[in-house]
Amino acid sequence: MHELSLAQGLVKQLLQLATEHHADRVVKATVRIGPLAGVVVDSFCFGFDAVKSMSSVTRETILELDCPPAVYRCPACGWEGEVCRPANVLCPGCGIQGRTFPVGDDDLILQQVELEGDDETLSGSEQKEGK
Amino acid sequence: MCDQCGCHIPAGVGNPLPEKSKTVTLTVNQRLLAANDEQASINRRHAEGQGAVLINLISSPGGGKTTLLERTITSLDKELKIGVLEGDIETERDAERLRAHGVPVVPLTTGGACHLDAPLVYQGLRRLDELFGGAGCDVVFIENVGNLVCPATFDLGEHFRVVLLSVPEGSDKPAKYPRAFLTSQVFLVTKTDLLPHFDFSLEEVKADALGVNPGLFILPLSATTGAGVDAWLHWLKSVVEGRKQLHAARKQ
Repeated sequence: MHELSLAQGLVKQLLQLATEHHADRVVKATVRIGPLAGVVVDSFCFGFDAVKSMSSVTRETILELDCPPAVYRCPACGWEGEVCRPANVLCPGCGIQGRTFPVGDDDLILQQVELEGDDETLSGSEQKEGK
Repeated sequence: MCDQCGCHIPAGVGNPLPEKSKTVTLTVNQRLLAANDEQASINRRHAEGQGAVLINLISSPGGGKTTLLERTITSLDKELKIGVLEGDIETERDAERLRAHGVPVVPLTTGGACHLDAPLVYQGLRRLDELFGGAGCDVVFIENVGNLVCPATFDLGEHFRVVLLSVPEGSDKPAKYPRAFLTSQVFLVTKTDLLPHFDFSLEEVKADALGVNPGLFILPLSATTGAGVDAWLHWLKSVVEGRKQLHAARKQ
């Protein structure tokens, strides 16, 4: 349920960027959600769609997500796979019975935005590093 | 359809785009939680300015946070000055339970939100300052909203995050809800007096929690019988002492 708070924060960030660069619209926002970020991606998208419509600047914004899958690792041999193996199943790598553990990052990052605005006033034509 | 740009607004209604528009792509690389995290840093510095340790308690509803605090306050109220920020979705019931023990408590009622965030905690810290009359305190407990999922994402500016899991909840929870265990420094297995009545494996819970976070300090305890509580109080006093020494060193 905290996905809505995160979506609200994202829209606020987008509006701020649009103001800073004198843009009229945010065309696209690219967000990375790490596998251990604790975010339900569908809920986040739902929240974003609900919140973005509150401003004409973000109403049409396309949300592009980079969500790498969680990878689970066997603590005994280091075998990795995309399925969480329960405790009572043998590891395909070493044959030892035991649970796999998730590995990966917990990034929640606004990577890129595409802004649209007046040819003369829109700033940031060069690629600019964020704060 | 608009004849200028192809948007869905009919021609003649008014084109929302300027006549000469362009797009730019910016590399931002800013965390979504940047605003929260900045406020969290301010909270941390605010507490450090007074030599206080901030501790964020996270567990499911009924995990034993309030009972642990009651036990802690009763045991240490003569040694430590304790303040509490009490997060709840509705009601001030827990705040009243703790006030009955004579410590300053600021209720943080979220009115629906499933977690506390750093700005709300800052308001609470300011109100707690008023209750202490500017004299400061040794430790501020932030009792988060009962939820093992969402609070794990929000830094409140705490120095230590303590996750609680009670015996009736089952020993599989660190594997199922890893983030709370991944981001905490201390893991308290609570209500251990109920171990004889539940199919709960201390070995499993420890192995799973350490699998998620090998640096986790794990303490099983029962706030009702007092078993294991001394180790918790010892840890608490040691981090308060550490903070005091750091505070004194900074002042010099």
